[in-house]
Amino acid sequence: MTDFDTTNPPRRDDLVQRIELMEAMIAEGRCTTMRYGWIFLMWGLLYYAAIGWQMYLPAGKFAWPVLMVLGVVIIQIWRWRALRSGRNHESPRSRSIGAVWGTVGCAFFLYMGAAAASHHIQSPAVNATVMFFLGLAHAISAVILRWRVQGAVAAIWFAGGMAMFFAPYPASLIIFLVASFFGMVLFGLYTMMLEHRRAATLVQHHA
Amino acid sequence: MTNPDPESIPSRDDLLQRLELMEAMIAEGRGFTTHNAWIFVLWGLVDLAGWSWQHFVHTQFAGAWAWPICLIAGVVLTIAGKALQKTPPGVPNSIACGRVLAVWAMMGLAMAIYVASAMITHFTWQYSYVAALLMMVGMAHAISAVILRWRVQGVVAAIWWAGGAAIFFLNSRRATSDIMLIEMCLGMIAFGLYAMLLERRRGGHWTNKTA
Repeated sequence: MTDFDTTNPPRRDDLVQRIELMEAMIAEGRCTTMRYGWIFLMWGLLYYAAIGWQMYLPAGKFAWPVLMVLGVVIIQIWRWRALRSGRNHESPRSRSIGAVWGTVGCAFFLYMGAAAASHHIQSPAVNATVMFFLGLAHAISAVILRWRVQGAVAAIWFAGGMAMFFAPYPASLIIFLVASFFGMVLFGLYTMMLEHRRAATLVQHHA
Repeated sequence: MTNPDPESIPSRDDLLQRLELMEAMIAEGRGFTTHNAWIFVLWGLVDLAGWSWQHFVHTQFAGAWAWPICLIAGVVLTIAGKALQKTPPGVPNSIACGRVLAVWAMMGLAMAIYVASAMITHFTWQYSYVAALLMMVGMAHAISAVILRWRVQGVVAAIWWAGGAAIFFLNSRRATSDIMLIEMCLGMIAFGLYAMLLERRRGGHWTNKTA
């Protein structure tokens, strides 16, 4: 599999084996995304909750930090429980997808933290950047997993990011809400539905 | 090895085979990065040219067109360089190479849309815009570093992110300009030269794990 000697070109069986391996890895990567599909839904709902708190409840300035940290804590608890119960199956491709989302999460928190601490948060460039970060993570995942639906989600986030620059500042909230609905809530529900179907198929297969 | 069924327990040989495959793929991915390291150097020089043009030539033309011209020149030179680049025999098109390529290609696409939108709407003066550029490049380095388990690239990512955060806190045009200069020299040119040196030492042996 890993022999790239030019004097011995790979045999047909070798190539077939390699293609099968790649297809299996892509399927594993997609399964990982499906298993984590609820996280997209959770983040989408947390965005809505943060906006609602900021607009209608007291201590609105704490809405985003509190709910974002809550999201991270929930994910870490879930991962810790998955590790303990041995449900955390890792393939090279799922590890790459994990690397993409983990890194984007770190960059997101670092960027937003620095912007908030230095009072630069209310700017079109910051709003656009948030959407481009999310679009970039979806786009890289979509290319790695060869998944058109996720590619379309990336396009939605990129379009939203562009709109942040072109639209008047008050419209930025509506743009973010629409992008979150399609790019987080709806995509999360879609992946959860796929996971549900896959689990049902597995049960039928074992029965 | 390719059975995603969680109930099947892989044998020791299976695990060893998978480990070897992963190590080989990581080595190939690093080889892919070092093979294309000239692109880092090129973009470092392109950014330096844009920065110098705008910094030292105080004309209206330079102010408005220095960056668009330099960035378009960078894209053209990258495409021309890739077309002319000789690929050594036996270069694999492995999964890790594809993933690293996906990271950089998508980062390039996102940056192109982001920069073009900001330029058209005249938002490039904002500190948050410049910080975002550094964060995005750092993000691509960080993802690549995690996939390839490459500490040097991880350090480069940290340098980019530190620069992005520093722009917010230092909050001055002079500091932003200085940070950009440091990032171009360290994060682009120095890393590119280091990776090119590795490629030279390897002499095209793509599966050498010690690089």
